[in-house]
Amino acid sequence: MTDTTTAPTTQTIPELQLDGVSKTYGTNLAVRSITADIPAHKISVMVGPSGCGKSTLLRIISGLDQPTDGSVSFEGKTVTGVPEGLAMVFQDYSRSLYPWMRVDKNVAFPLSKVPKAERERRVAEALEAVGLKDRTHLYPWQMSGGMQQRVAIARALASQPKLLVMDEPYASVDAQTRADLEDLLLRIQRELGITVLVVTHDIDESVYLADHIIVLSTPPSIVAETIDVDLPHPRDQVTTKADPRFVEIRGHVASLLRHKELQTGEDRP
Amino acid sequence: MTITQQLRPRSRPTTAARTRRDGLTLPVRIGLRLLVPVVILLVWWALSRSATSGYFVPSPLESLRAVGAMFLSSDPGRLFLGEATFTHFVPSVARALAGLGLAILVGVGVGVVLGVFPKMHALFQPLVHLGRSLPSPALLGVFFLLFGIGDSPKIFLIAFSVVWPILFNTIDGVMSVGEVRSQAAAVYRIPTRLVLTHIVLPGASPKIFAGIRTAMSMSLIIMIISELQKSDNGLGYLLVSTQRDFDYPGFFAVLIVLAVLGVVMNFIFLQIERRVLSWHRGVTAQND
Ligand SMILES: Nc1ncnc2c1ncn2[C@@H]1O[C@H](COP(=O)(O)OP(=O)(O)OP(=O)(O)O)[C@@H](O)[C@H]1O
Ligand SMILES: [Mg+2]
Repeated sequence: MTDTTTAPTTQTIPELQLDGVSKTYGTNLAVRSITADIPAHKISVMVGPSGCGKSTLLRIISGLDQPTDGSVSFEGKTVTGVPEGLAMVFQDYSRSLYPWMRVDKNVAFPLSKVPKAERERRVAEALEAVGLKDRTHLYPWQMSGGMQQRVAIARALASQPKLLVMDEPYASVDAQTRADLEDLLLRIQRELGITVLVVTHDIDESVYLADHIIVLSTPPSIVAETIDVDLPHPRDQVTTKADPRFVEIRGHVASLLRHKELQTGEDRP
Repeated sequence: MTITQQLRPRSRPTTAARTRRDGLTLPVRIGLRLLVPVVILLVWWALSRSATSGYFVPSPLESLRAVGAMFLSSDPGRLFLGEATFTHFVPSVARALAGLGLAILVGVGVGVVLGVFPKMHALFQPLVHLGRSLPSPALLGVFFLLFGIGDSPKIFLIAFSVVWPILFNTIDGVMSVGEVRSQAAAVYRIPTRLVLTHIVLPGASPKIFAGIRTAMSMSLIIMIISELQKSDNGLGYLLVSTQRDFDYPGFFAVLIVLAVLGVVMNFIFLQIERRVLSWHRGVTAQND
């Protein structure tokens, strides 16, 4: 890491550091050793084949699980429990939201310790940001999948996180909704300047969202490569994806994933 | 486990959409609903006219008159209720409700603890299975010994008998709340108290309600059984005493009152369930 005098210090200190993180389930070595820096105020995307331990890593990062070896530090402090300032969006929105609470209650629920007036303001702002401000009195099951995932994102935003982690947040919505939610994430991240770590196994999505890509190998996984994505902002589903640079990075990530799979002899489309 | 499996279909509330989906017009549906009761009344009436059983089986009309004579009155000061209502019906229902209430408190409380802590569950599972398989009506004598005479042995017997479906369903329900929901609670640092009251209990509530519904009908049966001996009031006592006095219309009147009680309690229960579990109807309708 080279220190440039002009860059603000916050840019140079990684928000989140993984240091030799490994995870063994019984005798199954799922994650061999992951060392990676997640830069602050950027979107980092972790991409890797199915079963390579992406969800496991996110659980470790968010303090829900312990690494077998190695450590995670967030803002310089070793993670032992759920770190303050972390919010998470789960893949399965229908299981992570509470179907007995209306949308506004779902978003407000994590804010039980926040004074009422401020809580209401934050909930309204978060729902406004995801475009659901007139749907606050619906139940989650009265909404489409994409809308439910917006609620989950609003819940994360309302807690005013410094680090937002998302585990395959768009894997269960249709292509159009997915594109909308990708753009929503890009916009919100630019507006709030928060650090985002997204896990996906969709190569296009990883390049489109990322400032920084961490490519994982097949299990037991290691970091195959980290790539800085210098595509300009604001990004656009049509023009960005037609950008020769996008195509190039995309091809590179694809070949990395393919190469790693060939190496372990696995047969994947 | 078998209890919850049996209960699952019944725990599905019958929604308006559901009954409309059966494709019957209103007159046809009402006609079908009335068919069975009318047949029962006819058979009953035929039995009351038969030479062999007629002596023991009063006619439906005669039985209804007995209901009026025993349980109703013309006194507005007593809310038009009769002697038997105050001396037998009210104490019976009060004991059933007290037993059921106690069973709900204990069943839900213990069930949440066992559901949340797998180790406690493993530790107490044998005991729970033992308790469930005890033939509780046969234990009435033991309860009289333990709790003396009066209301308490009966209330405790009812509670002990009906707590099991509530307990099993609560454990099952708590476990069904799901790992992702608890992870979400952990990530957002929800205080334990709120996790219990706003996540665990509501998440388990569909199953808990199914358990309570079974427990409710059981509680009426155990209520009767507990009053068959060593009692001086209650509907069970009244069943025994009317038979002893060859008062067959009175005996049938008590049966009618019991049937009405069961129907009314079930109706009230469904109204409460409908309000509390409105979200659950929506979820299941969406996933169907
Ligand atoms: N609780 C667990 N117990 C045992 N093994 C586990 C557990 N969780 C994950 N694993 C194993 O660890 C490996 C990585 O799983 P993980 O869910 O982290 O992969 P992933 O990259 O998120 O996969 P996907 O893309 O399919 O979501 C898998 O081999 C899985 O079987
Ligand atoms: Mg995963």
